[in-house]
Amino acid sequence: MKKGLKLTDILVTIVIAVAFGIVYILWGSIYYSVKPLGLHLDQLIYGMWFIAGPVAFLILRKPGVALLAEIAAASGEFFLGSPWGLTVLLYGVVQGLFAELLFMAFRYKKFNMSVAVLAAVASCLGSVIMDFAYGEIGALSLWNLSLFMIARFLGSIFFAGVTAYYLVKVLEATGVTNLVRPVSSKDYAELDQK
Amino acid sequence: MNLTNAETWLHKVNPSLKLCVLLVLCIVALFIHDLNYMMNITIGVLLLFLFFTGHSIKRILLLSIPFCFIFISTSSAMILFGQGETVWFEWGLISISEESFMRGLLVGFRALLFAALGLTFSLTTRPVNLFYSLMQQVKLKPKYAYSFMAALRLIPIMMEEFQTIRNAMKVRGFKRGKGIRSVYFKMKAYSIPLLSGSIRRAHRIAVAMEAKRFTDTRDRTYYYEFGFSRKDHGFILYFFILLLAGFYLSIQFPLLSLIL
Repeated sequence: MKKGLKLTDILVTIVIAVAFGIVYILWGSIYYSVKPLGLHLDQLIYGMWFIAGPVAFLILRKPGVALLAEIAAASGEFFLGSPWGLTVLLYGVVQGLFAELLFMAFRYKKFNMSVAVLAAVASCLGSVIMDFAYGEIGALSLWNLSLFMIARFLGSIFFAGVTAYYLVKVLEATGVTNLVRPVSSKDYAELDQK
Repeated sequence: MNLTNAETWLHKVNPSLKLCVLLVLCIVALFIHDLNYMMNITIGVLLLFLFFTGHSIKRILLLSIPFCFIFISTSSAMILFGQGETVWFEWGLISISEESFMRGLLVGFRALLFAALGLTFSLTTRPVNLFYSLMQQVKLKPKYAYSFMAALRLIPIMMEEFQTIRNAMKVRGFKRGKGIRSVYFKMKAYSIPLLSGSIRRAHRIAVAMEAKRFTDTRDRTYYYEFGFSRKDHGFILYFFILLLAGFYLSIQFPLLSLIL
């Protein structure tokens, strides 16, 4: 591979990410309208904030894309004036990094549902680590903390894993992904057939 | 954000330096566990946010509304459900103790600090300036910086497309359904055309940029040039003094002992 991502990859990744940045902002208002209900119902929808990484990776299928996408989505959210401020940038970097490491563990060669779900779980883990530092959640009482964890992990699996996978699946049907994906050996085989 | 406002000294601070200082302060704040100290620093940052962003006080107050939400929602969970020895109040699952109350306030102030820092930054920095400055001072590769700037330009177009889809649904007499299936349908109806359209557009832009010989060399010329000035020293000094004075005051005149 020629040194890193090409301009096309970067631009497409960042555009996808910024689109999700807008979603993240809208999601924020849903989030804190659910939050006062208590008992961590809000954590069920927390997973939406990890979706940019898996979606961008499943579309472009290249190293570095997931990390870049989460950072770009977070900074898009930040520039549009997120009330969480700089928190989103720090969280974005950590969540993207964890998703990226997971895709790296599979050598960037798996693009199925289970790898998307695992990446979502990895991002979730990153966010939980950040929450221990930022939100001091280690001091919650045990039943509350477990509820919190279960809700967040389930939510991430659904939103950032399953939803991301199906979203890309439907996008594939529009043919737009062929524009930006690296050519595979299957594509070469098709050329050879005549 | 394209809001007209007065320019203050905060606008003239080098954007990369501003981002860097604020991020360092955020990381430092993660390690502050003393409530008095945290409160002092938060007040110092709120002063910047309230009086030095150059926006009208009305708009500043409007932007502060989410702050209250965040403060209440982040601190309440910890106050109501946190662990602690000295119990003040207990009712079913809820138990408020002195420790959990203090920790709740600490977390609330931390959230407030992060939020104020972030908004102060985004109110006083144009994204374009930040990316030019990142290329010049931090040596960010131009292909990343220009991609970011192009993507930010596409936001209004995305909004317009969103409106178009909405109008199209109206014209075709799409009825608002109920239940989870209609939510699913709606998400698909909006997200797929928006995403595929954006990807196509991004791809076309990238092809055009490459066709016009967009190069990735760093010794290029820039339309906007950024350097450092006395304002930057002032900016660093402000936070340096804030950290020191905040610490001194938290020991000599703790705010909490005045209130409680």
